[in-house]
Amino acid sequence: MLDYNKYLRQQKFPLIWCAGCGDGIVLKSMLRAIDKIGLSKDEICMVSGIGCSSRLTGYVDFNTLHTTHGRAIAFATGVKMAKPEMHVIVVTGDGDATAIGGNHYIHAARRNIDISVILFNNNIYGMTGGQVSPTTPIGSRASTAPFGNPENSFNISGLAEAAGASFVARGTVHDALILDKYIEKAIRKKGFSVVEVMTPCPTAYGRRNRIGDGVAMIKDLKEHSVSVRKASKMSEEELNDKVVTGILVDRERPEYTDNYNKLIERVKGSNS
Amino acid sequence: MSELTLIIGGNAGQGLESSGAGFCKALNRGGLHVFSVQDNRSRIRGGHNFYLIKTSTEPIVSWTEPVHLLIALTAETVDIHLGKIVPGGAVVYDPSLEIDEDRIKDREAIPIPLPLYDIAGEAGGSKMMANTAALGAVAGLTNFPIKHLLSVIEDNFRKKGDKVININKKVAESAHDHAASKFGDSFKFNMEQQNGAQRMVMNGNEAISLGALVAGCNFVSAYPMTPGSSIFEWLNKHADEYGIVSKQAEDEIAAVCMSVGAAHVGARALVPTSGGGFSLMVEALGLAGMLEEPIVIVLAQRPGPSTSLATRTEQADLLYAINASQGEFPRIVIAPGTIEECYECGGRALNLAEKYQTPVILMTDQFLATSNRTLDKNNIDLGAIKIDRGALLTDDDLDKIDGEYKRYKFTENGISPRALPGHQNAIFKTTSDEHNELGEIVEAADNRIRMNTKRMKKLETALADMNPPKTHGLEDADITFVCWGSTLAPLTEAMNRLNNETSNTANIIQFIDLFPMPVEKVMPVLKNRKRLITVEGNYTAQLGSLLQMTTGVKIEEHILKFDGRPFSPEYILEHLKKLEKRGRNG
Ligand code: SF4
Repeated sequence: MLDYNKYLRQQKFPLIWCAGCGDGIVLKSMLRAIDKIGLSKDEICMVSGIGCSSRLTGYVDFNTLHTTHGRAIAFATGVKMAKPEMHVIVVTGDGDATAIGGNHYIHAARRNIDISVILFNNNIYGMTGGQVSPTTPIGSRASTAPFGNPENSFNISGLAEAAGASFVARGTVHDALILDKYIEKAIRKKGFSVVEVMTPCPTAYGRRNRIGDGVAMIKDLKEHSVSVRKASKMSEEELNDKVVTGILVDRERPEYTDNYNKLIERVKGSNS
Repeated sequence: MSELTLIIGGNAGQGLESSGAGFCKALNRGGLHVFSVQDNRSRIRGGHNFYLIKTSTEPIVSWTEPVHLLIALTAETVDIHLGKIVPGGAVVYDPSLEIDEDRIKDREAIPIPLPLYDIAGEAGGSKMMANTAALGAVAGLTNFPIKHLLSVIEDNFRKKGDKVININKKVAESAHDHAASKFGDSFKFNMEQQNGAQRMVMNGNEAISLGALVAGCNFVSAYPMTPGSSIFEWLNKHADEYGIVSKQAEDEIAAVCMSVGAAHVGARALVPTSGGGFSLMVEALGLAGMLEEPIVIVLAQRPGPSTSLATRTEQADLLYAINASQGEFPRIVIAPGTIEECYECGGRALNLAEKYQTPVILMTDQFLATSNRTLDKNNIDLGAIKIDRGALLTDDDLDKIDGEYKRYKFTENGISPRALPGHQNAIFKTTSDEHNELGEIVEAADNRIRMNTKRMKKLETALADMNPPKTHGLEDADITFVCWGSTLAPLTEAMNRLNNETSNTANIIQFIDLFPMPVEKVMPVLKNRKRLITVEGNYTAQLGSLLQMTTGVKIEEHILKFDGRPFSPEYILEHLKKLEKRGRNG
């Protein structure tokens, strides 16, 4: 079995995450994927924003950059363009990446820059106490939606696909081993890749919406997830309360740092 | 008079915040005064958090450092706070924490091992109820009537149903009996029931929200950010009763823009945030200045820059709030120092914004925002706040308009009569570009000069509404402290102690109205002082700089603090001594 310790800054333990939080499952899955690829620690630059999941960068022994709310992908873009040989991985949440950081998320996908985004989707703002996020399902309760959320929610993966990402997958913490594969593929993929991970926040979401503790929420996730294959045979109505999991996009598109290098060569060539 | 300070300390995630706030309520129901400090780490779980409550039979000026009763839910709590325990004080802890009793006895304090977890378990509760047990024990040790704690439990858990209420009550009662019978005699500090005036418990954010509500706030847009969020949540919770549109936005840029939009069509709009969020709002702040839209931003400060100490306190955004701008436009900045002033300012800010048709920034900090204090009920006068909509044209006025309505009409005082969109006689344009009286883009130099002058003129006009600073204590004193915001409470206590030792030692000048600075009203208050010292929660003495900039008075001495923790009277007195030592040596 993998010795996770070699990737962890153990002096920073215990983790800040609540009992029953899914974030630790994603952390381990990510480490397994990185280990499988065989990346050395100094090749990785891991960037995060603000939120519960973004605190992950404090616990891993890579080059880490814990930045400001919503801006992780913009920082990561700077890192990647200045040092394209680095593996740049962004750890972010639904609020961080698609509310305050939504713009950066869309434009990074459009550029198709070679960054892998691991997006922890728990449908809520955990750290600040349970406010509504862009993925809080309509009708759900949040501290800022005491009468139920009146807004439609985002399809985060669909957004990345539409904007031009090379690779998009959606997994859940219930199926952690499959998640390893998605993350591995995402990191290997040249281009903008997103793995949206459905993960429970019992503290700020589960309790308020009477789903229960972490275990109950993971069971609930299991019951509500269907594979892409299965989903393709289901009606929109049937899919209403479902989470479609699997590899949603895997395509070849020109990548941004490559394009940029070509540009440099062309401009230099025409100057000489 | 009897007074007592208790700390309940433990890990994040142990529910200290709600237990602490709940106990403040219980004490208030028992006729006691309270003053609390909330100290959280920026973590969801783990890490030391504590809630301090000072309670007294008499009104409380400020929290103070010495602790009489320490409730330790973790061993770390004992390590951190034992040094502040007074002789005769006590430390309550679960025996499973294996605290060395001798350490407590060395400080002449009483070790009180109480099986809080077992008590909770035996009453049918969970581990999480250890804090309910702890509060029950506090009541038992101090002779405080348990019924008040039970009534708060009933109120707080009402939504969760009778079963949860009953278990919690049982846990509290059983811990109470246990503590009272075994240790009640040895612990000498009491919190006995007081009868008399009806009071209430409120923190700064609640008071601002209430003030705004009374002043007709009907639109609030925000993005989650500690310590501003709870204003949004409070207004949101009451949105149905009072007809408030509340909108959580996708970021602070959107939040403030929504309020500018709402204000444009007539809403009384409020945007709560903290420094990081305010930074994102600066562009729209200028837009509000240019379009002359009344918005109120509540800037609840926390340490910066960037994420810094996210759950803590500081007063380092003052010059930023006053100066954050691209180009020049008028704004008003006010900063309450007490809960009552939070209430007043919450209403006043909305009035000032409409009166001067420009953004108002109401500044507090985490300490004031979250500190729960008792108030006499008549200190919050619901009738005192009157809605002032300034030069707003009524439908009748608009019916009578003949010819083109000029939204940005040049006037003597800079304030143009304001129509809201939706009347056939006053269909008007606005633009973020420089514009003429009709709101049409105009680049001509003479128009720019006139229009910019008109806008800036409002700063001068607003001076009429800017109050001089308040003086606390005697007019004449050897030392005059100068402060703003939350510092007032601990500073007042420090002043009282100095004056009790030697009369006429110290007084305080407290600034609430900070910008535009009413220099003519300020000078008589500031001048002829023997010795001025600013006391501020920042590194650079920003109030000192502001006063020098606006009044020319240069204050040479400062007591500063920027560790993310609130001032205490003890800290101020200690640093005063240091200043004096330095003065003598220098
Ligand atoms: S608040 Fe929610 S997301 Fe944050 S650590 Fe706790 S369970 Fe996880």
